[in-house]
Amino acid sequence: MRQILAAAAGLAVLAASACAAPPPPRAAVPPAAPAGPAVLPAPTGAHPAGTTVLHLTDTSRPDPWDPDAGARELKVTLWYPAQRRDGRRAAYMTAKESELFLKGSAIAGVPPDTLSRTRTNSVTDARPAGGRLPLVVLSPGFTKPVSSLTSLAEELASRGYVVAGIDHTHESYATTLADGRVAGCLACDGDTDPGFGTGVVQGRAADVSFVLDRLPKAWDGAGVIDRSRIAMVGQSMGGAAAVAAMLADSRVRAGIDLDGTTYARIPRSGLSRPFMFIGSARHTPGGEAAAWERDWRLLTGWKRWLVLSGAEHQSFTDLPMLAGALGIKPVRGVLAAARGAELTRTYVVAFLDRHLKQRRQPLLDRPSARHPEVRFCSPPRCS
Amino acid sequence: MTAARVVAAGLALLLAAACTAPAPPRSQARAQDRTVCAPPQGPPAAETATTVDVIEQAYFCILGNYHGGPALDARALLTSGFAALTQELNRAGRDLPEAVAPALTGDRAADWAAFEAAYRRITDRAPGLRDRLAVATLEAIVAALGDDHVRWVRAAKQPPDSYDGDGYGLGLVASAYGPQVDGDPGAALPPLFVTEVPGGAARKAGLRPGDLIESVNGSAPFIDGRATPAIAALYPRHPEARPVELRLLRQSTGRRWTVALRPGLYPRDPATLRVVRSELLDDVAYVRMTGFAPDSANRVLRAIARLRQGRTLAGVVLDLRGNGGGSPVESTRLLSAFAHGKVTAYQCTVDGACAASRTDDTVELVGLPLAVLADRGCASVCEQFSSAIKDWRAGTLVGTRTAGVVSGSAQAYLLSDNTLLNFPVRHHRGPNREVIDRIGVPPDHHVPPTPRDAAAGHDAALAKALTLLRT
Repeated sequence: MRQILAAAAGLAVLAASACAAPPPPRAAVPPAAPAGPAVLPAPTGAHPAGTTVLHLTDTSRPDPWDPDAGARELKVTLWYPAQRRDGRRAAYMTAKESELFLKGSAIAGVPPDTLSRTRTNSVTDARPAGGRLPLVVLSPGFTKPVSSLTSLAEELASRGYVVAGIDHTHESYATTLADGRVAGCLACDGDTDPGFGTGVVQGRAADVSFVLDRLPKAWDGAGVIDRSRIAMVGQSMGGAAAVAAMLADSRVRAGIDLDGTTYARIPRSGLSRPFMFIGSARHTPGGEAAAWERDWRLLTGWKRWLVLSGAEHQSFTDLPMLAGALGIKPVRGVLAAARGAELTRTYVVAFLDRHLKQRRQPLLDRPSARHPEVRFCSPPRCS
Repeated sequence: MTAARVVAAGLALLLAAACTAPAPPRSQARAQDRTVCAPPQGPPAAETATTVDVIEQAYFCILGNYHGGPALDARALLTSGFAALTQELNRAGRDLPEAVAPALTGDRAADWAAFEAAYRRITDRAPGLRDRLAVATLEAIVAALGDDHVRWVRAAKQPPDSYDGDGYGLGLVASAYGPQVDGDPGAALPPLFVTEVPGGAARKAGLRPGDLIESVNGSAPFIDGRATPAIAALYPRHPEARPVELRLLRQSTGRRWTVALRPGLYPRDPATLRVVRSELLDDVAYVRMTGFAPDSANRVLRAIARLRQGRTLAGVVLDLRGNGGGSPVESTRLLSAFAHGKVTAYQCTVDGACAASRTDDTVELVGLPLAVLADRGCASVCEQFSSAIKDWRAGTLVGTRTAGVVSGSAQAYLLSDNTLLNFPVRHHRGPNREVIDRIGVPPDHHVPPTPRDAAAGHDAALAKALTLLRT
């Protein structure tokens, strides 16, 4: 369950059984010389990206992880098309968040604030550009902050989407709350319990519905959001949460799961809204993760199942691009970090343009010579 | 909690425990090691058919590595295997004139060769039964050791449409469950009644805790006070899907009726599946722990720390009912929060040389009175924990005797069909060097579950524990 950042370097972290020898802690491996702060790739769309942070409190339900918290506090990071490119670049995470994230991921040998010096491409609190824009909810992997999906979020903002990234409090090694407290990963306590994934995605679906309810009032710029065009994209547990959120809330019109084993129970009548799986080899039909095959039969609308050759679990996130700054060497044979980010951006944008902007996307119809890593699957096989 | 979960969790936890034991010294390996077995180096690959080569590997694996291996009469294993083989042939209506046991001499290698020749002669005549016969034979060889911690573990086949946390079965738990059914049916006591209805067919049919189960598929669960195999039919495992017929009596109304419950998948509330749950019962911290899973000791200690914040507690109730065991590391850690400088258990070789396991005295003491709730579902590492608390007088045990399923910490070996053979490398003894296996740990206060309490939702063992802590 705890996919650690070490996986970002391409170490295939498989579901280790009780009997597997534990992987050596990263600290035990002599790190390569850190290569200075990481720089996220520039977004390719026409718009500059702006970003801002909202702190929302759902008083209608207790926190699912903190028995002493009578309400659910959430940190939401918005990315959106901005009017101007100039202004202060947003921080990737705080020094404290970097420290807790590295500690939780068992990464040592670099200054604890290393990730806070990662260079992003979005301008803090920039004035949003006008228009009627579709909204994309982003949900990160378990133990990860939503900033682990910044490269994708900035790309979507530059392409004319408003992005609402949710930090699911207590499901990440570090989340800074409204009053400055930094919440840790209380949920990590029970991540081997039976039914754990099922419980997490139920909670995340409630988080998503609450954010959709509150966003219009909570953000000054919310007037640009076209509330009839909402999709959700997530990696790992976040991707599993996309299925759960679509089942719980019909406002979410389409969804993408990036390499996440799924947990939400799709009713026998099926889920007819558009859905796309994009996975690493472990999510190949007939592979170890049978959940996608189970769900594939119940997806009755537009659907795709793509597998990226050479990708590993974190290839869909920023983490491989941070590996150099953390002194972690890329592993031979694994999809290069920049290429993983490029493919993720390309296919996620194609899906959203197809379903939220009604633009034809031949890229999603068949394999592409320019993207030979991408295989189209239909159980029991892939192209 | 359902039996399916108890069984699944218990098995997984036992496996986890299995993997923590050190590998046996290689010097025990024998000449027959051409079919050597080794601990698995990762999650086993997909299972393949169990063949006579796999049976051979298991046979020499046991003789070479099992703690009693050197003293075993290997002929007993082969004879049991052969008996099961002929029974299975008969069940299939295919008895054969050549299904005659080979003569065995006591030479382990020669006896295997004779057995294999006879085995092949039989299975060649019944090729359609090959898999069935192999499974029955290997199961019987393993069972012939008569050791509750020797298990041949095949991957639990999950139904393809199952979700994380789903249960499989009838959707009920009865007063006889877990180790009483799997391990030692003699421990179960009448009457048989429903204790929980977590979902599925049982919930749909309106069963309730306290309902008496008078017959299972037409058979009495007890005859002259002794448990019958009928009880096991309450807990079908995938892919068993034949409906199970129950005759029920609800004492409160006198209603007597019959239902047929079809086994199947059913969702369970994830909140009820958490391995560690806690709540404040006025001035007592109540913590339920359903397995000694990774990090579970720290979870229990954090829960106690949270519940005592800002108030003075009368004590702690640790509810270990249905706890199928798990990692001895977790048990040692949790024990060390209740006493220091103690022996937690002994691990003994077959010739009686024992090594002591001790408390980790760096763990901070809780320093509160402790009551432990135990029952016949508390097995393995759970009994190691309970016996230490009782022997040290570090707390009070309330409920019923534990399962008596704690032969010793086990080692897993990978067979060539990607199944696992688990068996103990040491025998467990309690802190006073007493045998717990097959005997269990008796409670200080005997509070058995009753159908009346179950129907009323009254937890008599918990009530007793609270009374003890508050006086």
